[in-house]
Amino acid sequence: MAFLTLISLACFAFPIYVIRPFRHQGMAELAAALFVKRIAPWVSAMCAVLCIAIAVQLRSRVRRWPLRVAMLVSLLLAVLGSVMTHVDVYERMFHPLDAPAFEAAQQAKVDGDDMVIAVNLSGEARAYPIREMAYHHIVNDVVSGQPIVSTY
Amino acid sequence: MWKRTFAGRVLTFHLAGINNQNFLMRDDESGSYWQQISGRAISGPLSGSQLGPVRSDELTFSLWRSEWPAGKVLKPVAKFARDYEDKDWEVQMLKARTVLAFPKSGIKARELMWGIAAFGASRAFAINRILKEKLIEDRVGTEPVLIVVGPDNKSIRAFRSRLKPGEAAPDFYRDAALARTAEQDALASAIMTDSATGSRWNFRGCAVSGKLAGHCLEDVPGLKDYWFDWRNYHPDTSVSGM
Repeated sequence: MAFLTLISLACFAFPIYVIRPFRHQGMAELAAALFVKRIAPWVSAMCAVLCIAIAVQLRSRVRRWPLRVAMLVSLLLAVLGSVMTHVDVYERMFHPLDAPAFEAAQQAKVDGDDMVIAVNLSGEARAYPIREMAYHHIVNDVVSGQPIVSTY
Repeated sequence: MWKRTFAGRVLTFHLAGINNQNFLMRDDESGSYWQQISGRAISGPLSGSQLGPVRSDELTFSLWRSEWPAGKVLKPVAKFARDYEDKDWEVQMLKARTVLAFPKSGIKARELMWGIAAFGASRAFAINRILKEKLIEDRVGTEPVLIVVGPDNKSIRAFRSRLKPGEAAPDFYRDAALARTAEQDALASAIMTDSATGSRWNFRGCAVSGKLAGHCLEDVPGLKDYWFDWRNYHPDTSVSGM
């Protein structure tokens, strides 16, 4: 059961450890971390379900309270690991712009010397202020009917 | 900036990790992971796929507004606005550590560069040098290019400097002192002259007067990037002035 809990926790902890700010990643470890991220929800869910099944099976046979507490903690951690594989911690740190809104250039309250990322598609011009983009990082947008993603 | 349409599907991207100080993004539709810097999927069902680039500029807001007075600007989200970057954020970033450095290059890791990858080659230009000299004539691969600073003394663009294919490129001279113009006249304002015809050219690379009035130079996309990042993704890059 402890082994299953460790697997479940590793499913969300390993990718976060590897793919974190101010840490260099080699291509091999990055590929491994991304592979784990992709299979993590399923693997950790299986671990959590197995932990629940084991706990149910053993609950009447394990009487000593330290062991019962350990079993409960192991179960809770396995479930926590599974839940966390569905949480995008990066979007918790930098909230996404789910519904970007725009205003006319003449109304925008942006300092003249602030930098913007500028795009022009078929005569439709958009500007994405960098001071805002550096926080949200990604804006999924449609300009002149063309779906684009602005990144910074 | 990338196109979101791939193989007939419109992809929706989410921030998914930091990769050597660029970021990774994941698309909802396939669950693949893509590099921000290259637009290439590096993991998942679409691994190896490449998003199409979208041409973009990095300009001051005032210059952009002068060129596109009817344009639209991304609005801030009030509840996150206090977390947006301070005005001097680029100065603050110079103090942040990097995960990569190339000390043998003689260039500081966080030296800001204008990187051009075109014509089968990549070449980097120190932004401090561009802003000081206002116009640099150079080559990327075998192609003559010019990098020029806008009338705001901050925005940068690059162009192929040949006027016609197969012809030698003329020299271009940027005006040392630019006449102050109203924002609405910026597009008509010339900032440089070519040595072949004496035509006058604006910051969009279009001749506004002279023999070549109406002709536009081909623009060359560039990327403002820290040296360590540019060098990491363009290991064969050359550096102008070195």
